[in-house]
Amino acid sequence: MVGHIIAFEGIDGSGKSSQAKLLRDWLEAKGVPVYLTEWNSSEWLHESIKEAKKKNLLTPLTYSLIHATDFADRYEKYILPMYKAGFVVISDRYIYTAYARDSVRGLSIDWVAKLYSFAIKPDIVFFIRVTAEEALRRLKENRRKIKPNEAGADVFPELKPEEGFLKYQGAVLSVYDKLAPIENFYVIDGQRDPKSIQIEIREKVSEILWKKES
Amino acid sequence: MEKGILIAVEGVEGSGRSSHLQGIKKYLEGEGYGVTTIGLQSSQLLGTTLSTVKRDLVFQRITLFLAYATDLADQIEYTVKEALNSGFVVLADGYVYTLMAWGLTRGLDRNWISDVLSFAIKPDLAISLVAPVSTISRRVIMKNGKIDPLASSIDLCINKDLYTSFRNHVKTFQKYLLEISKTYGLKVVKTDRNYEEVHKEIIKYVREVLK
Repeated sequence: MVGHIIAFEGIDGSGKSSQAKLLRDWLEAKGVPVYLTEWNSSEWLHESIKEAKKKNLLTPLTYSLIHATDFADRYEKYILPMYKAGFVVISDRYIYTAYARDSVRGLSIDWVAKLYSFAIKPDIVFFIRVTAEEALRRLKENRRKIKPNEAGADVFPELKPEEGFLKYQGAVLSVYDKLAPIENFYVIDGQRDPKSIQIEIREKVSEILWKKES
Repeated sequence: MEKGILIAVEGVEGSGRSSHLQGIKKYLEGEGYGVTTIGLQSSQLLGTTLSTVKRDLVFQRITLFLAYATDLADQIEYTVKEALNSGFVVLADGYVYTLMAWGLTRGLDRNWISDVLSFAIKPDLAISLVAPVSTISRRVIMKNGKIDPLASSIDLCINKDLYTSFRNHVKTFQKYLLEISKTYGLKVVKTDRNYEEVHKEIIKYVREVLK
């Protein structure tokens, strides 16, 4: 028996993390073995990455490789064993985040795809699509300060946080848009009401988990 | 300014990498060259972290490989590029080919390995140091007082005793390193001889790439 991998992709502020958590809670309540993993959360690398970003030590190449190491750590330690054990693994950001962020930093997307070729493709990728403007509007509405990494401070050091956010997230979004048809993303308009989005996600996930088997 | 030279010294632990690298360094400095050295697991970014966590990652080969690659990339981006631009000679105590052999020994995909490592600056000279397993085992035991389960690839030969495990590891590693040497044109040097003799042979190769 193998499990399932359900990935969420989208720019910062798209609401994908909340959707991923809601899905996790729902599956858990139904008694499904489920595991949620987040980007950039490997226990032993977390500090090194944070420190390096703070000191601005990363070049596009090392930015890419260290995130690939983080992903590989979670992949080999949690994602793959749990998948093999029959879990539903929900991945808040998957390899496509790296495709987008690394290529925005000037690396060849083909090379990044090769770098991550060890990872199995998810059963479904929910691409929660909002524009950079909408994501910024939400941040402001919640009175949250823009973090340097959300503003792509290493890519656009000369821009003010808001301008950087729009430009960086905009660039990431356009890579996602190019990937969507190629990688068969399930595109969801993130401007919609979060509740109706979650309903659609649950329907789609039910189809994958249960309807096919019957 | 003339661009510097990158010399890679490759081989398994106990092959004589570090001691012959010191020999090259001394020689070059005697000849008036500026020398910078780099080595696996010594980047500012991940060097210390790697040495403390790698014991917990023995069965995560992709992760460990990528961590080594990140560590190497960090040194290339900062130390190597800068040194080469200043016209120095860069000596690498273990470079991409050692990493390649490491990955192949652990069954990682050959194409994936070379794709990932394609970021690395190609060395002007790469030397593979090899020696019989018995020589290598004696060196490692003399240096460390014991065979470290990690260095003997606990992840590869878990059912064997420490020495057999170590033997198998070194054998496989060197088999791959020789294969890589053929493919990528590395100079193979046998180190189970008198130090001076080996040193002379290495310096002969080094002189060929000095401008």
